[in-house]
Amino acid sequence: MLNKLLFKNQDKKQLVIAIIGALLGITFLITSIHYLIKLNEFGEGADILGPNTIIVQKRVSNSSTLGLTKTDFSLKEMEKMKSKKFIKDVKPVVANNFDVFFRTADSLVPPFSSVVFIQTVDSEFLEIEPEKWNWKLGDEFVPMIMPREFLIMLNTFMSASGIPPISDDLAKDIKFEFKLSNNSNSKKETMKVRIAGFSNEVSSLLVPESFMNYGNNTFSDGSLQKITQVMISGEEGKFGLVEELLEEKGLESKKSQMVVGKLKSIIGTLFGVVLGISIIAVFMSGLVLIQYLQLLMTRNAYEARTLMRMGYHPEKIIKTFFLYFVKIFGFVSILGLLLFIVLKFFLDNAIATGGLGIGTTITYQSIGALILAYLLFAITSYRTAKKGIFKEY
Amino acid sequence: MPAPLASIEHGKDSIWGNDVELKPGKKILLNASSGKGKSTFTTTIFGLRRDYTGTLSYDDKDTRNLTVDDWTKIRMEQISVVFQDLQLFPKLTVQENLILKNSLTDTFTEKELKTLLERLEIDNKWNQQCGLLSMGQQQRVAIIRALAQPYSWLIMDEPFSHLDEGNTQRCLKMLDERTTDLNASFVLTTLGDHHSFKFDQELNL
Repeated sequence: MLNKLLFKNQDKKQLVIAIIGALLGITFLITSIHYLIKLNEFGEGADILGPNTIIVQKRVSNSSTLGLTKTDFSLKEMEKMKSKKFIKDVKPVVANNFDVFFRTADSLVPPFSSVVFIQTVDSEFLEIEPEKWNWKLGDEFVPMIMPREFLIMLNTFMSASGIPPISDDLAKDIKFEFKLSNNSNSKKETMKVRIAGFSNEVSSLLVPESFMNYGNNTFSDGSLQKITQVMISGEEGKFGLVEELLEEKGLESKKSQMVVGKLKSIIGTLFGVVLGISIIAVFMSGLVLIQYLQLLMTRNAYEARTLMRMGYHPEKIIKTFFLYFVKIFGFVSILGLLLFIVLKFFLDNAIATGGLGIGTTITYQSIGALILAYLLFAITSYRTAKKGIFKEY
Repeated sequence: MPAPLASIEHGKDSIWGNDVELKPGKKILLNASSGKGKSTFTTTIFGLRRDYTGTLSYDDKDTRNLTVDDWTKIRMEQISVVFQDLQLFPKLTVQENLILKNSLTDTFTEKELKTLLERLEIDNKWNQQCGLLSMGQQQRVAIIRALAQPYSWLIMDEPFSHLDEGNTQRCLKMLDERTTDLNASFVLTTLGDHHSFKFDQELNL
């Protein structure tokens, strides 16, 4: 009866417009948050290096070949790069200043050996469990990240020797050795090595910083180590700016390293714009709904006043208005969620067809955003209803 | 003394400016000419106005100190009012207007409500919108609505102003019976007409 008294004779045109606005806003809000998160997740775990991390070096020109320009980085240059807002961190890629001889030490694989170049990067840049990436003197094995190209080469060599190729997991069980020595070969040491992971982006063997320090301190001839490569970690979605900086400073990186970051930046920006518009749409439609609630209360001022004079508690009338509007917004939210699921089905297919393999599970954050929007609307509508009713008390 | 009436000269026996006690169980006539504050009296003792000087007590409690919960309970169970402007819901039917009030306390059954309407000769208006009724018919609906709750006091502000003598007597008889049944009291404000009823007390404004 109360609903009939308060809501029957209303002009629902404004209500319908607000509902449509809120529905579109909610749908795009969930969609944009979902895809922004999925996009951020994209690339994680695909490589030992994070998806927003690149290794750069100075572009080699004729003048640098002639020794007229430097190809190494000074600490000042690194600090300057790090001061940029879109750069999270810059760290040197430290190389060996001693001789390293790498060989297989397992009866399951044919003998293979080579002089190699090893490097180390700060563990912050690596997506590897910290306990798998440490070394101290006396440890049985030195953990190592191997370039995937190296494994491919090893497999090619094994196939040619009539031995079946090995997978990533099996390769991690193969025993290798490093033979360390100084330039004069007067100091030597052999250490067992085990693969901790693979990288598509780094061309050298990566070892823990503590191992590199040990090698450089023990076997180096004392000459100053030059930093010819640095590792840059960019802020999420700011890869366009990182690329501009590289261009400006005459730096270069592996193209493949840039592609994912750039792609993520572009799509992230697009979804960011959609998210911004969605937030405005949800806010505006929420505002229209709240305004409609105020209008309805103004039109029903006499009814609310009379009901309270008849013995109806103000809270009962507030609850009637509140429930009416949270039911509407609840209906809009559920419909928005269903629309998002339908939209997601088509978008996931389109994105997969386009070559971006992102996860298809619904993100908690998008559902969280929906709940948050609903709670904010519920609180606002309750407060508005309370204010409006007590004005008539 | 209500603020709007402070500038008006009131008689020595006026309730305004004097201590007045409304005793339970009495049927009281409040007699005054227009503009002397009959409606102000009704709305003030019903807690709708606070712009007065002095103290207004209900059950020895200062009404200024009563909470929203207190007033809701009082309006639902202890004081019922027939307003001069009736305050019905014109878009709702007679049935809906009565049930909206009756449902708070389930005082009457639907059949009893219809019987009350029948006594006042408007039972044929059960499904009609209140806004389409004559003022006299609306007054009778408002009277029945005021009865559809338990009360200790029934305050009526010129409730028979649009009724002929026959309907007035029928209404008065019904009000008297119901008030006596509940061992309650009523205050009836008029412009001077006693409606041939023997009141226990007569007050002036």
